[in-house]
Amino acid sequence: MVVQTKKQVQQDNELLAQKIHQNLIDNNIKSFDIVGAIGAGKTAILEKIAEKLAQKYKILVICGDITTRVDANRIEQYNAETIQINTGRECALNAYHIHQIIKNKDLEKYDVVFIENVGNLICPSEFILGTDKRIVIVSITEGEWVIEKHPMLFKMSDIAVINKIDLLERLGTNLGKMTNDAKKINPNIDVITTSAKTGDNIEKLIELMGL
Amino acid sequence: MESMKKKIMEIEEIINNPENIKTVDLKILFNSFLSEIKNRIASYIGDYPTFIEPVFLEENVKIGDDVLLGPNVYIGANSEIGDYTEISNSIVFENVKIGENLKLENCIITKNSTLNLRNSNLSNCILMGSSDSEDEIMKIKF
Ligand SMILES: Nc1nc2c(ncn2[C@@H]2O[C@H](COP(=O)(O)OP(=O)(O)OP(=O)(O)O)[C@@H](O)[C@H]2O)c(=O)[nH]1
Ligand SMILES: [Mg+2]
Repeated sequence: MVVQTKKQVQQDNELLAQKIHQNLIDNNIKSFDIVGAIGAGKTAILEKIAEKLAQKYKILVICGDITTRVDANRIEQYNAETIQINTGRECALNAYHIHQIIKNKDLEKYDVVFIENVGNLICPSEFILGTDKRIVIVSITEGEWVIEKHPMLFKMSDIAVINKIDLLERLGTNLGKMTNDAKKINPNIDVITTSAKTGDNIEKLIELMGL
Repeated sequence: MESMKKKIMEIEEIINNPENIKTVDLKILFNSFLSEIKNRIASYIGDYPTFIEPVFLEENVKIGDDVLLGPNVYIGANSEIGDYTEISNSIVFENVKIGENLKLENCIITKNSTLNLRNSNLSNCILMGSSDSEDEIMKIKF
């Protein structure tokens, strides 16, 4: 077996991610990598987005999970095509996984590709996937410290979503602190609060994504 | 599923006569089979491999550590995949043993073959027979 250093692995990943991005751009596809903590609402938000956009765009959603096809099945109900990747022991998707899918697909068929990464606030920061934008999703149930404790993904994301705001009254989470933390870590990041349950601000998120 | 079974039998019949293979016809059938593969990964013996769907595993497939299977992979009953091996767009028939750290892409491995190789990269070919070295394996490009 060829053993590579962590740095080499990341460099290879980056080159492949560039290739993927070029390929997606050449096919006029808008692409998004959705990362975030376990259970923050990545799939729930993608369900809402698919529900609103499936008429307008041909959507492909790639779902990363350790095991099962639960998320892909949920999203498929909203007329998006899905591909499930089961990563087994790996805690994030990498560009190689995505490249294996992209090179076997007739990309002309699609307008938008969403990738739901494995639920994890740490691992995905080591592997970019070659999408236009990265969106990091946390929810207020994780506590107001979740952003300041996990700065890496916020540093490299374009949009930060704070989800489950329908529960705000019950939980009394300090939303202002969460927003400030995200902005402190990455002044260029757009911060938006949503509820995938009530649909609150989902339209605005779609707008922010440029869709 | 019926159509998948029918096609895999047709492919088997063709490669049973290696002297007479019309590679163009085989390639068409091969691609049509790959495009029909359904995902079936519920039962296998092994430790959390990576799957990119669709992957179809028949009964009693043994999978080593850190294996990556898919997309578009069919593996026949009782076959074994070695550690660190990676297979995409391929058909592995039954009772096949595949070694460690191999990369197979667009390949057909005929039944009862043993690829006792390591660290090889094989693509676009039919592989048959049993061997410890790449030169000794019967290889038909397609
Ligand atoms: N109240 C409320 N519940 C939500 C909201 N968004 C998601 N949920 C619930 O939170 C749970 C987890 O949501 P998922 O969408 O599965 O979360 P995920 O981020 O995809 O989770 P993993 O893929 O397992 O990492 C589910 O029971 C959802 O119904 C929300 O905005 N408000
Ligand atoms: Mg999910």
